[in-house]
Amino acid sequence: MMNELYKHIIGGTKSLLPGLLMLVAFFVPAQELVAQSDRATIQGTVTDAGDGSPLIGANVLIKGTTQGTITDVDGKFTVDAEPEDILVISFIGYLTQEVAVGNRSQVVISLELNSTSLEEIVVVGFGEQKKVNLSGAVDVLDSKMLEARPIQSVAQGLQGTVPNLNIDFLSGEPGAAPNINIRGITSINGGNPLILVDNVPMDARELNFIAPADIKSISILKDASSAAIYGARAAYGVILITTKSGVSDGFSIDYSNNIAWSKPTVLPNKVTDPYIYMRTLETSTDNTPWDYVNYTAEQYAWAKERSDDPNASGPVRVNPLDNSLWDYMGNRDWTRHYLDNPTTSQRHNIAISGKSGNTSYYLSGAYDLQNGALKLAEDKFDRYAVRGKVNFKPFSWLSLGNNTSLSLTNREKPFYLSIPNLYNIAPTAWDKNPDGTWANNAAGRTGAQLTDGGKDLEKINMFQTTFSGELSFLDRMIRVNSDFTVRRDNINYNGYQTRYNIGYGPDDVREEGSNIARRRAGYLSYYVWNTFATFEKSKGKHYFNVIAGYNQEFNRFEQFTINRSGVISGSLPTIGLATGVANVTEDIGEWAIRGAFYRLNYIFNDKYILEFNGRYDGSSKFPKDKRFAFVPSVSAAWRVDQENFWEPLSGTINAFKIRASYGSLVNQSGVGNYDYLETSGSYLGGYLVDGALPQVVSAPPPVSSNYTWEQVNSQNLGVDLGLFQQRISASFDIYKRETLDMLTQGRELPNVFGAAEPRENAADLETKGWELSVGYDDEFNAAGKPLHFTAKFILSDNRTRITRFDNPNNNLTQYYEGKELGEIWGLRSDGFFSTQGEIDALDQTSVIPWGALTIVPGWPKYQDLDGDNVILKGTSVDDPKDLSVIGNITPRMRYGVNLGAEWGGFDVRVFLQGIGQMDYYPLHYLYWGFYQQPYAGGYHHLLDFYRGEADSDIERAQHSQSYIAAGLADANTDAQFPILQAWLADRNLGERVDQAQGLALPQTGYMLNGAYLRLKNLTVGYSLPHSLLERIHLKRLRVYFSGENLAERSEVKAYFDPESITDNIAKVNPATTAGYGWGYAYPFQRRYSFGLELQF
Amino acid sequence: MKKNIIFLIAGMLASQSCNDDFLERFPETEISRENFFNSAEDLETYLYSLYDFPGFDIYVADNSTDNAATTGSTEVKNMMIGSPSPSNITGGWSWEQLRRVNYFLENFSKAEIDPSLLSHYEGIGRFFRAKFYMDKVKRYSDVPWYDKALLTDDPDMYKARDPRALVVEKIFEDYEFARQHVQEDARAGAVNKWVVMAHMARHALHEGTFRKYHTELSLQGTANTYLELAADIAQQIMDEGSFAIHNTGNPMEDYGSLFHNPSLDGSPEVILGTFSEFDVRNSGWWGYMFGNYEVNPAKDLLQAYLMDDGTPYTNQAGYETKLFVEEFQNRDPRLYQTYAYPGWELINTSTYAQGEGIYVQQLTKNFSGYHQIKGFVNDRDAALQANIDVPVIRYAEILLIYAEAKAELGVLTQGDLDISVNVLRTRAGMPSLSLGVAADAILEEQYPNVSGPQASVLRAIRRERRVELALEGFRFDDLMRWHAGKLIEKEPEGLYFPGLGKYDLTGDGVDDIILISNAGTIPAEGDKEVNGLGKKLIYYRVGPQGSDASFYLTNGTSGTSVTDPERGTFTEPKYYYRPVPQDQVVLNPSLEQIFNW
Repeated sequence: MMNELYKHIIGGTKSLLPGLLMLVAFFVPAQELVAQSDRATIQGTVTDAGDGSPLIGANVLIKGTTQGTITDVDGKFTVDAEPEDILVISFIGYLTQEVAVGNRSQVVISLELNSTSLEEIVVVGFGEQKKVNLSGAVDVLDSKMLEARPIQSVAQGLQGTVPNLNIDFLSGEPGAAPNINIRGITSINGGNPLILVDNVPMDARELNFIAPADIKSISILKDASSAAIYGARAAYGVILITTKSGVSDGFSIDYSNNIAWSKPTVLPNKVTDPYIYMRTLETSTDNTPWDYVNYTAEQYAWAKERSDDPNASGPVRVNPLDNSLWDYMGNRDWTRHYLDNPTTSQRHNIAISGKSGNTSYYLSGAYDLQNGALKLAEDKFDRYAVRGKVNFKPFSWLSLGNNTSLSLTNREKPFYLSIPNLYNIAPTAWDKNPDGTWANNAAGRTGAQLTDGGKDLEKINMFQTTFSGELSFLDRMIRVNSDFTVRRDNINYNGYQTRYNIGYGPDDVREEGSNIARRRAGYLSYYVWNTFATFEKSKGKHYFNVIAGYNQEFNRFEQFTINRSGVISGSLPTIGLATGVANVTEDIGEWAIRGAFYRLNYIFNDKYILEFNGRYDGSSKFPKDKRFAFVPSVSAAWRVDQENFWEPLSGTINAFKIRASYGSLVNQSGVGNYDYLETSGSYLGGYLVDGALPQVVSAPPPVSSNYTWEQVNSQNLGVDLGLFQQRISASFDIYKRETLDMLTQGRELPNVFGAAEPRENAADLETKGWELSVGYDDEFNAAGKPLHFTAKFILSDNRTRITRFDNPNNNLTQYYEGKELGEIWGLRSDGFFSTQGEIDALDQTSVIPWGALTIVPGWPKYQDLDGDNVILKGTSVDDPKDLSVIGNITPRMRYGVNLGAEWGGFDVRVFLQGIGQMDYYPLHYLYWGFYQQPYAGGYHHLLDFYRGEADSDIERAQHSQSYIAAGLADANTDAQFPILQAWLADRNLGERVDQAQGLALPQTGYMLNGAYLRLKNLTVGYSLPHSLLERIHLKRLRVYFSGENLAERSEVKAYFDPESITDNIAKVNPATTAGYGWGYAYPFQRRYSFGLELQF
Repeated sequence: MKKNIIFLIAGMLASQSCNDDFLERFPETEISRENFFNSAEDLETYLYSLYDFPGFDIYVADNSTDNAATTGSTEVKNMMIGSPSPSNITGGWSWEQLRRVNYFLENFSKAEIDPSLLSHYEGIGRFFRAKFYMDKVKRYSDVPWYDKALLTDDPDMYKARDPRALVVEKIFEDYEFARQHVQEDARAGAVNKWVVMAHMARHALHEGTFRKYHTELSLQGTANTYLELAADIAQQIMDEGSFAIHNTGNPMEDYGSLFHNPSLDGSPEVILGTFSEFDVRNSGWWGYMFGNYEVNPAKDLLQAYLMDDGTPYTNQAGYETKLFVEEFQNRDPRLYQTYAYPGWELINTSTYAQGEGIYVQQLTKNFSGYHQIKGFVNDRDAALQANIDVPVIRYAEILLIYAEAKAELGVLTQGDLDISVNVLRTRAGMPSLSLGVAADAILEEQYPNVSGPQASVLRAIRRERRVELALEGFRFDDLMRWHAGKLIEKEPEGLYFPGLGKYDLTGDGVDDIILISNAGTIPAEGDKEVNGLGKKLIYYRVGPQGSDASFYLTNGTSGTSVTDPERGTFTEPKYYYRPVPQDQVVLNPSLEQIFNW
C-alpha cells in the first residue's frame, strides 16, 4: 500500500514541473470566462455571539470572488449573490463564518469570539503548550512569517523577527553561516543557542541543510525555565524548529520557485586615477623612515599622460628600460572589476502532503543555487534537499512515524579566492598583456590564479532519519514517546592548486605557483535517543502535566586530509596522479552526553500557572569526577485577565499575564572534546630531514585540575498584553543572566610559564537586558474589499559586565571586574597639531607607531586628560593616564519592523531591520588605506588629508589635471584625515590597547557610528482569485517580486557594508591582539528576485 | 499506571547513569605522556619539534648594520631613532621553546633504550636548551634560569633574574653534556655532535669576547675561559670532523655557489643546512631581496674587501671618491660573488629592479644603489628558487672562530692562520694573511678597543670574518660582542658621483646613465640621448635629501647616494641589552630592569 502511494507520488512529480509551468500561461485569459447570471440581493446583520451587539465593519465576501462589502454602524449589510454562492463573514478577533446563500434574502450571523491567537499551540521542549499557559519566555514564529519573503536559509528568515534573537551574517559568501545568539553575550568562551530540528540538534552552519520551505514553526526558548529540559547545551537558549507534516485530508501539491539577481551592496570607493594613486602613495612613504615607494619621473610622466587622457596610450607597454618586460599603467578599480557583477541564483521547492485514513505524509524536494559575487570563475553554493515524513496510526493508542531527510550541498570556488587580495589590487595594475597572457602584477596574477590556479570543491552529504513512536493510554492521559535518530554526514573535499602562466614580457611567459592536490574526507556519525512519558489530566479547576524523560547523544567525527605535491597533469589534479610525498593528517573526536529530565506543570483555575523543570546531565567533555550536574528551574504565571476584578477592563485589555522564572543551567559549549586531558597532537615538522618532513609531536598545553561546567543562572520577568480583541498584542520581558565559573585562563602568568595559561573555572559575568515586541493585526474596508494589515515591531537591548576575573591589578589588557564587555579604551582626539610649538608642548612620543615616525604639523593630537603634558597609555583601570572608555562595540537596541498588507489578492510586505546603537573604530585597510600599509590602497575619502602648504609651481607642472582638480596640490589644513604617513594606522603592532599605536589606537576623532537601518526586504505579491483557479484546478497561485537588502542608512556604509562589521564582537576580549581580519568580508548582496507559488 | 511508568523510567535512568562507559571518551589521534616517550622513535619525533634554525632570511639579516641599509623597520633602528622603553621594545621575551625542551628533559628517561642512545637524545634536548638560553643572554644578560617545565602554581615563576655568570655556566654545562653524548652521525639536516659543537664554539666566542669588551658586566676576568673553550672546540671540529672548505679551484665561483644552491646536502663545508624541496618544503626565497625594496648593501662593506693582492682597498689613493666601475677593479673575488658588479647579468626579473640583461644599477631614493647577489637566485625558474638550501653553519665560520679566539688570547701562530683564515683565502684566490700584517688605520678607527701584541692581526681577522660571512646575518652580533655598536650610527652610503653628467655603470666604457639637476626635466622618450650601444641613457634628476629628485646625493649634485641618514644614537651600554617588557615587570616585579632601561 505504501509502496503504491510513494510510486504514485514520486512518479507524479517527475512530470509535474513542466505541466505546472504550462498552466501558468492560462491564468489571465481564464478571467474572461467568469459568467454572470440570475442574481439576488441579500440583506443581513452581523452580531457578536456573546452579547448580541452589532459588529461594525465586518467583512462580507462572496467566496472565491473579490466581490463583497462591509457592515454598517448597525452591523447590517447588503450584497448581490446567486443562490449557490457562499458568504464569508470575517471580523478581526472573531472566528470567520461561512453561510450558504440558498434562497434566503435575509440572514443573521453571530460571530464567535476568536481566541485562536491566544489559544495558539506552541511547541516547547518535549511537548506543546497553549500560548496562554506559558510561564517562561518563549517566542514563536510560524511559517507564514517565513513564507512572506523569499529566503535562502532559515537563519536569514529569522533575522530581525524575534526580539533578542540576534542573527549576524558576517559575510555575503554563498552558503555562509551566521552567528546566532539569544539575549546577548553568553560567556567569554562564546556559547550559542541549541538549535533543534524535529528534536535533533544542528548548528548554525548545518541549518543550511534545511530547506526553509519545509518549516512549519519555530519556537525560541529564551529563559532558563523553558530551556532547562534540554540541559547542558541549552544554557543560552533553544531554537526549536518543527518541520511540516501532512495534516489535511486529501492530497496537496505545493510548488514554488525564485529567480534572483544579485550585486554587492557596498564596495569601497577606490582611487583609480593612476597619477593620484601613485603620488599619494609615494607621499605616504616619503613622510616615514621607510621610504621605499619611489616612482621614477618616467613612471609619473606616463601616469600623468594616462590620467590626462586615458585613451592617449594603452595600459600596457613594453618597458622602455628593458624591452623584454611589460610595463603597466592601469586606471581601474579592480575590486569592482572582479566583484561587481550581477549574478543569478535560483530556488525550486516542491512538496506533496496529505492524509489518508490512518496515514499522513509529507514529501518535499528543494533545489537551491546561490552564485557568489565572483564572475571570473565558478563561485557558488548549491543544495539539494529531500525530506519524507510519514505517520501511521494503526491503533488509537499507537502512532509510529519516520522523518527522513537527505541534503546534498556543494560549495565550489577557486582555490585562490581571497577577498583581501581582491580588495588590495592597485589601480595601476592591469590584468592582461597585449598577447593575451595574464599580466605580471596583482591584477593579472589574481586573474590567473582564479581561473587557472585550481579549485576548491566541498561536498557535504547529510542523511538523517528519525523513527518515533507514541503509546497513549487512558484517553491520552498518559503518553509515552520515544524517538531515535541516526545521522550520517559525509564531507568530501577536493581541492587542487595548479601552476599558472604569467606573461613577464613579449617573449617571456613563466609558470608560477604549485601543483598540489588536496583531499579531505570527513565522516560524522550522530545518534540521538529521546524517551519521555507525559501525564496530563484536568480535574475540576486543576490541570496537571508531568513529563519525565531521558536523552542521550553520541557524536563521532573523523576526518583525514591528504596533500600531495607534484601533480602530473594539470587536467587530472588528483592525489592519485601526483608524485610528491603525501602529507596525511587525521582527526578523530567523540563526545557523548546523557541526561534525565522532568517537567511538572500545574494550572489552577486557568489563572495560576506553576512549572518546575529540571535535568541531570553528564558529559564526556569533563573529567570523571566533575562530569555530572543537576539543574533545576521554576516559573510561574498569573493570568490577571481571568480574575473577576478585571472584567470591567476586559473590553479594552482582553489579555494580561505576568510571568516570572528562575533557573539554573550548565554549559559545555566552547569546551573541546578532550580539553581536560593533557595530550599532544602530531604534525608535520618544519625542517627537511633526509629529504622529508618528519612527523613531530610537541609538548601538550597544560591543563588545570579546576575544570568543569560553567553554570548559568537566569531570571526572567515578563508581561503579555492583548488589546482590543488581540488587535494589538505586546510582550515585554526583562532578564538577568549570570554566567558563573567560566572556563578561562586563570590569573595571567608571566611569559616564563612558557605556555598559554590553562583554562579553569575562573570568571563570572552578568548580562542584563530587556525585550519588547508589539504586534498589530487589523482589517479595514478599502474600496469595498477587506484590507488586512499587520505590523510587528521588536526592540531589544542587553549589556554585559564581568563580575569576577582574576586580574588583581585591573590590567587593561585583560578582563577585569566591573568591565562592561565591548568597551573601547582609547584616547580623546584634540584635532591636529598645527605648529611645531604645539608639538613641543605635548609629548606624544609614546604613541608613535614603531617609535619611529615623526610627529609633524598635521599629526593627530590628543587630549591630555591627566594634564601632565605627556600622552601616555596607562596599564590599568586604576591608572589609565590619558586613556578612557570612548565607546562600546556591542550592538545595542536591535530592532525590526515588519509591515504587511493584503488587499484584493495583492500582498505587500516591508521588513526593516537594524541596530540602534553601536560604536565602531575602524582598523581596516578599506578605511585607512595608505595610513595602514603602503599596499593597502588609496580610497577617495582619504584624499581629504592634511596638507600644510600648497605645492610649488615646479611640482604643479608635473601633476596631472586630475590631481590639481582634486585640490591635492593645494594646502588643506582643515582636513578630515591627518598628514599622509604610511604606518600611522598600522595595526601590525597588535590591536591590544597596550600594543596599538598611532591611529590603530582607538580615538574619538575617527570613531564611527555602527548603527544601521536596513530595508531588508520588500515583497509585492499577487494571488489569483479562487474562482479563476478552480477552473484550472489550482488551489493557489501567487506571483511576487522581492528585493533584499534594498537600502540602508548607516555611517559606515560609506566604507563597507554595515553588517560586515558585526564580527567586531570578537574584540570584546581585551587580550585580543589580532592585527588582521575584521570586516574584510565577502561582499553582501543586494538581491532582486521573482518567484511564483502554486498549490494543487 | 503513571507511577509505574515513572518508576520504570527512573529505574532505566539509574541503571544508565551508573554505566559510565558511555561517557568515557578518549582521544584517538592525540597522545598523552603516559603513552609516549617510550621508544627511540618517540624521542626523535619529539625532538624534531624543537628545531628552530634560520633559513633564507639570514641573507637579509645584516640590515641596520654598517653592512647594509634598509628602509624597513628593525628593532635597533627603532631604538636609535625612536623613544625606546620597556613598553615599546617588547619582542623576544618568549619562553615556549624552553617549556618544550624542559618537558622533554622531564620525560625522556622513561624510554627503555640503550643508555648511550638515551644520553644522545638527552644531549640534543640540552643542546636546544643551551641554544635557547644563549639567545636570551644575548638580549637580556641576566635571565631567570629554569630547568623544569613550570606548573601554574610554581613560585619560581616570580623569581628575579639569575646573574649572567650563572646562566652561562649552566648553558655550557648543557653544551658540554651534549658534546659528549650526541652522536656524530645523523640524518641530513638533523642535529649531530658537530652541530652541537659548532654552536658551542660560536657561543663560547660570543661570551668570551662579550665579557672581554663589555666592562659594564665586570666579567673581564673570566673572558679567557670562554675564548679558550671556543678555540678548543673549534680545533676539535677541525681535527676530528671531516669538514672541508668547498674548493674546486675556481675562486670566482666556489664561494658564491654555496648561497644559491639547490643541493647543499653532502657539501663538505656545510655543518648544518636548512634544506628545501619544491612543494615539500619551499625555501621561502623571495626575489625582492635584490633591488630596491628593503635591504641594500653599503659602501662601507664594499670597502672592507681587500685588493686582489691582499692589500687594503682603503690604502688606494682617493678610494672614497672612486666611481662605481673603479670600485670593483682588482678586488677580492668574494666581492663579485656578493655584490652585483659592473657587467653582471640579471636573468631573474621577479625583483624590485628593472632590466633583464647586463645590469645597470637602478638608483632610487633611500637606496645605496648597490645590489646584493649573495643568496640571490639569478634564475627564473620558481621551482628552483623554492628548492634553494641554506648553509646555516659553514665550516668557514669554525675556522674564523678558531683564528679570532686564538688572536684574542694572544696565542695565534702563523700555523694557526694557515689552517684557518688562509684556507678561506686560498679558496677565494687571495694571498695569505700573515701574522705580522701591517696595522690598518681604517680598522683601528673601527675597533679602537682592540689592544695587545696581536691587535693588528686580530683586526685583520675581524675584517676577514666580515668579508667571508658578509650578508649572512653575523654582523649585528659581531658588532655587539665587540662593543662596536657605535658603528651603526654611520649612515650606510651608496654609489659615488662626482657631479652631474654621464656615467658608465657596466664597465664597458659606454655611458649608461645621466644625472641631471632636479631643477631640470627629463626629456620625452624620443628626445633621450642614445649611447654608443644604441641604448637610451637612463635619466635621473638628483638633488639634496628631501628634495624633489629621483634620488639624493650627499652634496646635492655630487657625493654618495643617500640611504638612511637619520641614524640616531647608539646609547652605550644600554642598547647592547633589551628591556624586559613592561607587562612582564608588572606581572613579576622581581624582574628589575638593568643598564638604565
